[in-house]
Amino acid sequence: MILMSMLKSTLKNLFSHPVTVLYPFEKPDIPDTNRGRVVWEMQKCIWCRLCEKNCPTLAITTDKEHKTQTIARARCIACRTCVDVCPTNTISMESKYSEAVFLREVHVYDLALKPFEYRVIQLPPSQKVILKKRPGEQEVKDEIGTTSVSAPSEGKGQA
Amino acid sequence: MSRVSVIPFGPQHSSFLEPMNLKLSLEEEKVVGATINIGYNHRGMEYAMAQDYKRTVFLCERVCGICSYHHSSAYVQALENAFNVKVSDRANLIRTIMMECQRLTSHLLALGHTAEALGYENLFMQFFREREEIMMLVNRVSGNRVHYSMNTIGGLRKDVTYEQLKDIERTVDVMEPKFLELQKVIRTDSTFRKRTMGIGVLKRSDAESYCVVGPVGRGSGLPHDVRLTGFAGYGVDGMKFQPVYYEEGDVYARNMVRMDEVIQSVDLIRQALNLIRDEPFLNPVKGHPTAEGVGRVEAPRGELYYYVKAKGEVKLDRIKLRTPAFVNIPAIAAMIGGAQLADVAPIAVSVDPCICCCDR
Repeated sequence: MILMSMLKSTLKNLFSHPVTVLYPFEKPDIPDTNRGRVVWEMQKCIWCRLCEKNCPTLAITTDKEHKTQTIARARCIACRTCVDVCPTNTISMESKYSEAVFLREVHVYDLALKPFEYRVIQLPPSQKVILKKRPGEQEVKDEIGTTSVSAPSEGKGQA
Repeated sequence: MSRVSVIPFGPQHSSFLEPMNLKLSLEEEKVVGATINIGYNHRGMEYAMAQDYKRTVFLCERVCGICSYHHSSAYVQALENAFNVKVSDRANLIRTIMMECQRLTSHLLALGHTAEALGYENLFMQFFREREEIMMLVNRVSGNRVHYSMNTIGGLRKDVTYEQLKDIERTVDVMEPKFLELQKVIRTDSTFRKRTMGIGVLKRSDAESYCVVGPVGRGSGLPHDVRLTGFAGYGVDGMKFQPVYYEEGDVYARNMVRMDEVIQSVDLIRQALNLIRDEPFLNPVKGHPTAEGVGRVEAPRGELYYYVKAKGEVKLDRIKLRTPAFVNIPAIAAMIGGAQLADVAPIAVSVDPCICCCDR
């Protein structure tokens, strides 16, 4: 048994710089490969809906009529599936994280806007958003921002 | 004889990271019995996971943050078993490397947490400083610090580049002396030894009857480790592995198992890096699964087991997951008898109770 077994590291720490990052003044060390958030370059979009169909959390809604792609940032888990399935490289992943917001909001990428620019639509706190139906699932009425999983009607209550 | 008083320990307690309740029966300062209450964090994950087997690859990582990659590996192994698909050695070895990286982060967290429960804040910070380097490494390799999302049924979603493999090798080389120094500290430090040795003893017979797994079992002399069965990359020719185990069964032994496994993980990462060859990293599957499948991995807390029953459609019939924390937490009742109230926190923390895994 040794008393003062950490003396070496104590002395080293005494004369070295802090390991922590003083965040607002120093930039955090985020690598380029980081999965931060997805962005659309709408000029390339061919409205194939692959991103919408493959999104594991149903965060993406494609509107072919109005030429928009809507993403609910609070639902997005930044898994990169939409980037991988996109046939025209419309969607890309930024290393920057999406910013924290006070209200629930969705980001709308419009063909009328410049590449990578989006419109922010804030949702009133009580608004329900009806998400799309998939085969074998009942219509999901869910508030954006919660993490419920869509469930088919017949199996409910058995588990 | 003094009167027995019952006091609650948790669900909100400074020594627990997550909600868990111990009802302690005390005779003055001595603990004579404990009842364990869990279920504060139940989310109904098993039902949610059975809804769509493809989306569950991402959902199963959310069961637990500190062994997320083990969960997704066990789940994809179960589905690969159901699909009867063979995964290439490259994908298996990369899975092994990432699992060992996550074991490093998890064990360093558990050791730091123990140091904090002992009141040894400085050692806690030392552990977390080294842990941060590994967290940044997995962020550079996988793209995320916690949920790696690298697995898919049949292999990996994205290949790991040569530069990233070099990065892993470099970081591991830099970190190994630091881990060895920390190992020396907790082996020899008088504060750590006096607070942990001979405390919270789980006898081998008790360990067998409670069916404990992982470092808790190995600390009590049960040399049980799923890595010996050779899942993922552990079965590739050239990987050498012997489980670490201690006979004492006290808090010290359990923590020493974790500390030795940190060094062992570094060795396993090096072995796996040497064995990686250029191979396809994905063997895609077609259609929906129709059979049953089983996946077993050695998570940082012990054996993690996934059972999947498919019925030829997107929805699965049943998913059953048996997490190591769920088996280990009841064993606290066997360790705690006769301990002082001040030792309850180190004993409970030495099991590394992960309530997210346990309640799921």
